[in-house]
Amino acid sequence: MVDVAILVSVGRHPASGQARRAPSDARALELAFGLPPGRRDALHAGDPTNPALRDYLGMGLERLTVLAMAEGRDPTDALAARLRGLSPGIILTGNQAEGGEDSGMLPYVVAQALGLAIVPDVVAIALDAEGRTAEVVQALARGQRRALRVELPFVATVHPAAPAARPSAFGPARRGRIEVVPVDAPPDAFLTACAARPWRDRPKRLSVGAAGGGTGGALERLRAATEAKAGQGRVLVEPSPDEAARAIWDYLQEQGMQPR
Amino acid sequence: MVAAALSTVTLTVLLVGLALALVQARRWRAGRAAAVDLWAGLAALPGRYLVDVHAVVGRTPFNARFHALSAGGFLAALALLVVLALPPLRHPALWGLLALALAAMLAGGLMVGYRRRVLRPAGLSGGRFNRLPLALTGFAAAFLLVAADQSAGGVLPVPVGLALVALGGWGLAELVFGVWNGPLKHAVHGALHLVAHPRPARFHDGAGRDSGLRPLDLETADSGPLGAGRVVDFAWNRLLGFDACVQCGRCETACPAFAAGLPLNPKKLIQDLVLSLDEGGDDRAYTGSRHPGRPVGAATSGPSRPLVGPQAMIHPDTLWACTTCRACVQECPMMIEHVDAVVDLRRFQTLELGATPAKAAGVLEELRATDNPGGRSLDRRLDWAVDLRLPVLAAGGTCDVLLWLGDGAYDLRNQRSLRALVLLLRRAGVDFAVLGAEELDCGDVARRLGDEATFQDLARRNVALLNGRRFARIVTADPHAFHTLRNEYPAFGGRWTVLHHTAFLLELVRSGALTVTAPLGQAVAYHDPCYLGRYNGETDAPRALLDAIGARRREMERSGLRSRCCGGGGGAPLTDVAGERRIPDMRMDDARASGAPILAVACPTCTLMLEGVVEPRPAVAEIAELVLAATEPTR
Amino acid sequence: MTARRRDPRAERTARIVQTEPRRRLVLDPDAIAASSGGRPRRDPRARRADATLQTAPRLRLDWTGKGTGAAVSMSAPGRGQRAAPAAPPLRVIENPACLIFAALDRPDGALSAHDRQLLAAARLLADAVDGAVVAVAPDGADDWGALGADRVIPLPAAWAAEYAPERRAAALVAAIARWSPLHVLFPESPEGGDLARRVAAACGERLFAGVESLSASRVARRAGGGATELSCAPSRFLSIAADAVAPLGAVRHEARRLDPPETSPDAPKLREARRLPVDPDGVGLGEADFILSAGNGVTDWVVFADLGRALGATRAGSRVVCDAGHLPRDRQVGASGTVVSARCYLAFGIAGAPQHLQGVGGVERVVAVNTDLHAAMIKRADLAIIADAQAVMPALLRLAGEGGHG
Ligand SMILES: Cc1cc2nc3c(=O)[nH]c(=O)nc-3n(C[C@H](O)[C@H](O)[C@H](O)COP(=O)(O)OP(=O)(O)OC[C@H]3O[C@@H](n4cnc5c(N)ncnc54)[C@H](O)[C@@H]3O)c2cc1C
Ligand code: SF4
Ligand code: SF4
Repeated sequence: MVDVAILVSVGRHPASGQARRAPSDARALELAFGLPPGRRDALHAGDPTNPALRDYLGMGLERLTVLAMAEGRDPTDALAARLRGLSPGIILTGNQAEGGEDSGMLPYVVAQALGLAIVPDVVAIALDAEGRTAEVVQALARGQRRALRVELPFVATVHPAAPAARPSAFGPARRGRIEVVPVDAPPDAFLTACAARPWRDRPKRLSVGAAGGGTGGALERLRAATEAKAGQGRVLVEPSPDEAARAIWDYLQEQGMQPR
Repeated sequence: MVAAALSTVTLTVLLVGLALALVQARRWRAGRAAAVDLWAGLAALPGRYLVDVHAVVGRTPFNARFHALSAGGFLAALALLVVLALPPLRHPALWGLLALALAAMLAGGLMVGYRRRVLRPAGLSGGRFNRLPLALTGFAAAFLLVAADQSAGGVLPVPVGLALVALGGWGLAELVFGVWNGPLKHAVHGALHLVAHPRPARFHDGAGRDSGLRPLDLETADSGPLGAGRVVDFAWNRLLGFDACVQCGRCETACPAFAAGLPLNPKKLIQDLVLSLDEGGDDRAYTGSRHPGRPVGAATSGPSRPLVGPQAMIHPDTLWACTTCRACVQECPMMIEHVDAVVDLRRFQTLELGATPAKAAGVLEELRATDNPGGRSLDRRLDWAVDLRLPVLAAGGTCDVLLWLGDGAYDLRNQRSLRALVLLLRRAGVDFAVLGAEELDCGDVARRLGDEATFQDLARRNVALLNGRRFARIVTADPHAFHTLRNEYPAFGGRWTVLHHTAFLLELVRSGALTVTAPLGQAVAYHDPCYLGRYNGETDAPRALLDAIGARRREMERSGLRSRCCGGGGGAPLTDVAGERRIPDMRMDDARASGAPILAVACPTCTLMLEGVVEPRPAVAEIAELVLAATEPTR
Repeated sequence: MTARRRDPRAERTARIVQTEPRRRLVLDPDAIAASSGGRPRRDPRARRADATLQTAPRLRLDWTGKGTGAAVSMSAPGRGQRAAPAAPPLRVIENPACLIFAALDRPDGALSAHDRQLLAAARLLADAVDGAVVAVAPDGADDWGALGADRVIPLPAAWAAEYAPERRAAALVAAIARWSPLHVLFPESPEGGDLARRVAAACGERLFAGVESLSASRVARRAGGGATELSCAPSRFLSIAADAVAPLGAVRHEARRLDPPETSPDAPKLREARRLPVDPDGVGLGEADFILSAGNGVTDWVVFADLGRALGATRAGSRVVCDAGHLPRDRQVGASGTVVSARCYLAFGIAGAPQHLQGVGGVERVVAVNTDLHAAMIKRADLAIIADAQAVMPALLRLAGEGGHG
């Protein structure tokens, strides 16, 4: 039995910009579903009318508490205060927020404010029998894993390699309750100091010789859209097996895939 | 004495049968309410039976014949027996008539026996069904003797007569109590199903075809669960329909999933639903073929138990293996609507439980967030055609033909066929336009996967989009979009003339707008897409078009309305349930057997599925590509 | 038969020119030719020579090296350098106007490419304000001067190998308190990014995370799910995305060592950290770094399995082989399997159907062995070999055996 709080944000689909559940927050909620059942509090700071919040309810959450605040406010104090009141054993959140500030500072600030340990990039949590410490598995680069032990309470950010979040279903999403708690939050000065403009993809490669830069032209887009991406590689035609093996081996070494 | 015994036995059996039927009816009356016009249904019953049912049964003439003989004979005999129960009417001529009816029935019964004992089609269920020929022939033969004897004035000794009555009575009981739970329950249920059918428009007295899914009411939040989670979540007339199943196995024989060894047998699926009406049973008594690879007897049935689940009557793999190809519906003599059942079950899984299988769930999530299943940016739908400078129809704009591109526009392979189609429209001087970045996915995949909420959202927005523009017709190369726009959008206020591109190209060729300059001359096999053929009855135009461009057309095994699915419908490539083989591999075997070097297709999904078959195999060509090659202007 | 061996990564690095504020990759064949020979090879003799120079620092001041040009427009460390490997003059910044901290990762005790980029970013900010770059990192044998560090705050060398984010953070917080740097830079890597946020939170400041373009006056990154660009004047705490800044060319700095500040030894809350053994075949395909993949052209499944083990690669396959049961279904790469993002994908006997290629869209390097020159997989490959998989696999297995693996 452990009380868990899950901090969820609103994501934004990279292709359409449409609001949706943030993938790694959804995984955090999924991880919470897998822990021995205690209180489960999902918290969001922001606009309670955002329909994307229902995606979390659609995962089977009965209630989502929204600390209602206008856009551009700093949610950390409000969240920390709320969490202090709940004093959960584990606070879970995604390790990559998809919207808002995008900097991933929030769980750290919360941990700092509550004086809790923070474990990043978690993919699994197992509680000991007394529920006093947890064995936590972290995802590292290249599919590696690290285990460590941490005392409750703690904050954990969930890695995208954690088990996939269950789909969100329409029925429960419609039935779930959104509990609105209006809070006072100061404007986020750091964020307001930043300028925002639409992101433009940078040209991947600028050929010096090509007239006019050769980017963005209709034909180029056509080619990009209709041709399979081709590596302009080296081709060995019918080498002996040993030559072939040598060429592959050397290449693997060059690429750092094999020790020299 | 013998005549009186005969009447008593007959009437008793019939009355007991009627009582049992009423008890039986309580089971399916537990289903949800449904709007049914019973009087119209009753009036239409004889016609539906004689025309529609017999059109299906008649596809196997032997069956049609024995059915006409045994059922016709039986019904006539029953009527006469009831009449003959009144002593004043016991006229020798009537007895003669009865003997005639029973003789016909006897012949039918013998044919049934021949089929069951000698022919033994794999799809038939055994068990108590195997007693059917005995019951038929026993009843018919015994009463035949009695009737013949009575018309001759009663020469048989009374004990013999009584013994014959007893034997016939047993046969009759076997047949009539079958209404309760046996071979003949289909007669009563089948008739009632025809009366209260959930899709009356599918019969000859309606539109003749009715394949669009019904919208689910999402507005009233407290109307119970969305879709069917328990068997009683189905409407009562659906349950009645399931109960009408005779386990003839025609659906099983036609089902591509079953043939490929996927864990789905539509007949067993219907029986799973029937069994679920009774509390505490299981499927051990079921004697037909199983869902391939799945055991029987593992789950307990019950009207309010969850229907689908790893431990439930229907395993999720069974549910998600269906390609919604409608081959089963096409074949079912009892007019059962399997696809509706599958979609109802899926709706509950997706909308209430979020239990859509992983890849499919991911696609639905992308679809919700981007309005296309691939999760791509909508303004890239035209990337493949930048050089073609397609005219885009803005709000308020007008054109003759609106070209609906569909999701194929995002796929390398299908862009080739779309390009061919666009070049043909240009060549023929058609005034056409596309919606460009405003076109949303039509919602076909979402709907078949049970995500009615996403479908309705897309449908409403597409309808608004299209209703804000003026055009004479919509043409699309995607039969799924064709079906959705044509048959399913009307419920959301979208009524337009929608054409599949094969029909439109045929029109262009016939009108002379396209001239065949280089007849193909090669042998071509044509694969009917389910959503064009069975869903919309369009099997002629593509063939006529192929003929017009000089293809030497060969028919494959299983074609036209009985075409076999490519495996690509209903989100099946996304749910990707494992079987023994791949459905497209089997379909490609049909194409190989035809000997044609080219397999013509008319659907972006078929193109992908069939081209995904490992070589060597016939080349896969979209019809538009063949037409383009055949109408090259000569210089 | 063979073309010149190329090191595409080095080539790309060589092509990077910093124009403000956007990164451009300039295809300059000459520069590539000059740096050919692949990844930067270490030349021990040159390194020793470099070190010798350092022994007499004060005599070799180079005032011309001032100004930002040399450090910023690091055009390829090209031809000039190769032809005359003279060490660049030493730059000493005696009285810096301010300090720029670069908190390096040094994962597993060696400087990463990302660390080098971080030092370049720190240099850029420092040179704009006459500041000094301070490398803060677990101690090691690195030539900090040649890496562009004016000062070094060495942390215990053992911390490089251990997982000690709390201690590292505490040490940095102490150092920040003592030296009040103008900027503190972190690599936006898994560990560096974590450290950055710990330190920023402890200092009560905000982090501008994942800088994708950097100039002395502006930092920018993507936000809003990638839809918008957020930019501002460089904040105090910055983390720099990988490959956002080109590493420095040839430079020479003082690398004066500073004494690390004392930190109070709080008991760490994260304890008993240990790596879990991960079998390559147990790695989720989506996470795998090196994939050995088989298609319908593979018939020798024993050698294939051995090869996977010998190369330490995660095994995978096309749908056909997974359907046939040669590999489990969760090992299928492609549209209906897993979309992989490995650094290297070694494909034997795979035709490269569109649905399969969709699955390798994110792969950096593809090596393909196929008997068919016209297979789509061959077109996609960076190294393509037209040969029988059954012959090449055992030969490669022998080499791998000699290579000391497995
Ligand atoms: C909806 C759908 C989804 C699909 N999803 C996927 C998917 O996710 N992943 C996937 O992989 N496929 C997928 N496919 C299947 C795909 O279309 C191809 O059929 C499949 O990828 C082909 O696999 P293959 O390349 O191994 O086999 P083949 O097409 O048979 O190719 C074998 C290759 O091996 C070469 N070869 C033969 N002998 C040798 C030898 N001795 N040495 C070296 N080379 C040799 C041949 O030249 C050929 O190029 C999907 C298909 C569909 C329709
Ligand atoms: S719709 Fe097709 S796949 Fe589904 S059960 Fe019927 S025949 Fe089988
Ligand atoms: S569902 Fe229809 S086709 Fe299938 S077995 Fe039953 S009656 Fe026959």
